[in-house]
Amino acid sequence: MQNITPTVVVNDPQSYEDRHVHTVYDQIATHFSSTRYKPWPIIAQFLSSLPDGWIGLDSGTGNGKYLPLPVDRPNSILTIGLDRSRNLLEIARYAGNESQSHHNIREVVWGDVLGDVWRSGIFDYAISIATIHHLASYERRKLAVQRLIQCVSPKHGRILIYVWAIEQDKLSKRKLPLDDQQVHQAGQDVFVPWVMSHPNTKNRAKKHGDTLISNSRESEGEQTLKITEVYHRYYHMFAKEELTQLVHDAARELGLCIGSFEGFSEQHSRGIDIVQESWERSNYFVELKCWQSSD
Amino acid sequence: MVRLITHNLLACHVKGCTTNNFPLTFQDVQIELQEAEFNPEFVRNLLSRLDWAALVDAAKQVGDTSLPPEEPEMMDDDLLKKLHHVLLEIHVIEGAMTCPNCKHVYPISNGIPNMLLAEHEIG
Ligand SMILES: [Zn+2]
Repeated sequence: MQNITPTVVVNDPQSYEDRHVHTVYDQIATHFSSTRYKPWPIIAQFLSSLPDGWIGLDSGTGNGKYLPLPVDRPNSILTIGLDRSRNLLEIARYAGNESQSHHNIREVVWGDVLGDVWRSGIFDYAISIATIHHLASYERRKLAVQRLIQCVSPKHGRILIYVWAIEQDKLSKRKLPLDDQQVHQAGQDVFVPWVMSHPNTKNRAKKHGDTLISNSRESEGEQTLKITEVYHRYYHMFAKEELTQLVHDAARELGLCIGSFEGFSEQHSRGIDIVQESWERSNYFVELKCWQSSD
Repeated sequence: MVRLITHNLLACHVKGCTTNNFPLTFQDVQIELQEAEFNPEFVRNLLSRLDWAALVDAAKQVGDTSLPPEEPEMMDDDLLKKLHHVLLEIHVIEGAMTCPNCKHVYPISNGIPNMLLAEHEIG
């Protein structure tokens, strides 16, 4: 089994992400996608709760598994997927279809989650699932949250954010070598291995992962070479409360009040309310609702 | 895919390009028509987010002139169906979108628009 290893982000966080996140996802896209097909219940519930005609953004959509939801009311809302990995988007286009038929092609956009490609406030909702933890600095993670806030309606926009937690599920196969006070306050930068095994075929494109070649004997006694490639993805594992703090910082910098609409009586104020925040299966999540007082 | 619904939401984000950066202009497009399930409620509710003039222009650029130039006050079923077609059934597969202000070109290939910028273009 491969363990998670602590790392330290050196040099420019953007080139660090290019190397340790974007390149990796482009390489492992197909294999990664084959293991990510089950929507998490809270996210499915969130998408089910949205009214007909709402349009939203899935920022860091990956293989697009949330784009076809809600299952019980297909085509009642429209979620547009954005991702940095072109190879994952090719898969996301056909999310929810049995084959690559042309029946339900998803809307996907090749872009950066820190990019500002949308008319401001144009979406009704935005989700960011397992994405912000791939950004390699506090400033960049904060900007990612601000982009989500900016792209949804200031009056009724709803946002759901999931990130990976220091606090891991007991059932998680991943082993975590970290356990000190520091980490539990500030989070931890780590590498998480992605292992792909396949038979050795000659004409494979050159890969960037570490390659291990091992001999294995098949039952007939024939000897084949098996190649195992290990790719290391960068993650920032969030500490308890860290996501909430990040959302607070992001919102305050945009001049927004934090709390429920009822708590603020001044006119012309704008704010976000944290409607739920919790831990689920090795992740922290937070759901936000935007509000604006009428003139 | 770039359908006209998505086009209506995108704006140029090159550093310093903050006015007249919407709507992007389609160029050299190849389109494919694909039927989508008609949900009148969806289309009706969507209307408040749309920029009508931008939609009519974009539709013309991809060869559809079925929409009236001014947004009608009343939406009947016939118009909702036209809107449904324009917004959800025309897929731009190849081509580009150009910013009316800074002329930046966002290429579209295999139905996927490339909104990434080079480092020096990011604001
Ligand atoms: Zn521009």
